[in-house]
Amino acid sequence: MADAELKSKVEELIQANPVLLFMKGTPDMPRCGFSMRVVQVLDQVDVDYGAIDVLPALQPLREVTAEISDWQTFPQLYVNGELLGGCDLVEEMFESGELAKALGVEQPDNAQAPQAQQSAPQQSPPLQIE
Amino acid sequence: MIEAALPGAAVEVIDETGTGDHLRATVAAPQFDGLSRIDQHRLVKAAVKERFDDGTIHALSVKTSVPG
Repeated sequence: MADAELKSKVEELIQANPVLLFMKGTPDMPRCGFSMRVVQVLDQVDVDYGAIDVLPALQPLREVTAEISDWQTFPQLYVNGELLGGCDLVEEMFESGELAKALGVEQPDNAQAPQAQQSAPQQSPPLQIE
Repeated sequence: MIEAALPGAAVEVIDETGTGDHLRATVAAPQFDGLSRIDQHRLVKAAVKERFDDGTIHALSVKTSVPG
């Protein structure tokens, strides 16, 4: 059962921010390769977005997003109150033009999702908030 | 595990880092027909939720399709 207060706070944030990214780390310093790839996609479509670092409260936020949108891995990108998906779906929708359409922006030229890096992505620390 | 949850699905899982905890799954399942892509992903994630919860899997990339 998710924390009710946190859940209503998250719901408010999702409604208040047309484009909202829940990620590990910050856009300037992503702490997970998948979060970094979504940041790179959003930079390419050149859209303003809010970002929330989930690491300080990972487990409570998992429980909250599991209830709100039946999704409990991060990153999660919300557009106009709806979950678009995690890294895979955001990249797929970016390359297909669906993301730009959902965001109401022009599809950038040469839209190419950042590929998974050859080296292992920067790992989030072994952080388990139980 | 995915095959058990989605009977008839064609599933391919690749170990991306060789450590067994970063996996990439390509899933083609008849159950996906008529579902949005995000709901298709939800089905796959639900099938392996246990392994996320116990920490066996750290990351799972998913690509879904409906068999033609």
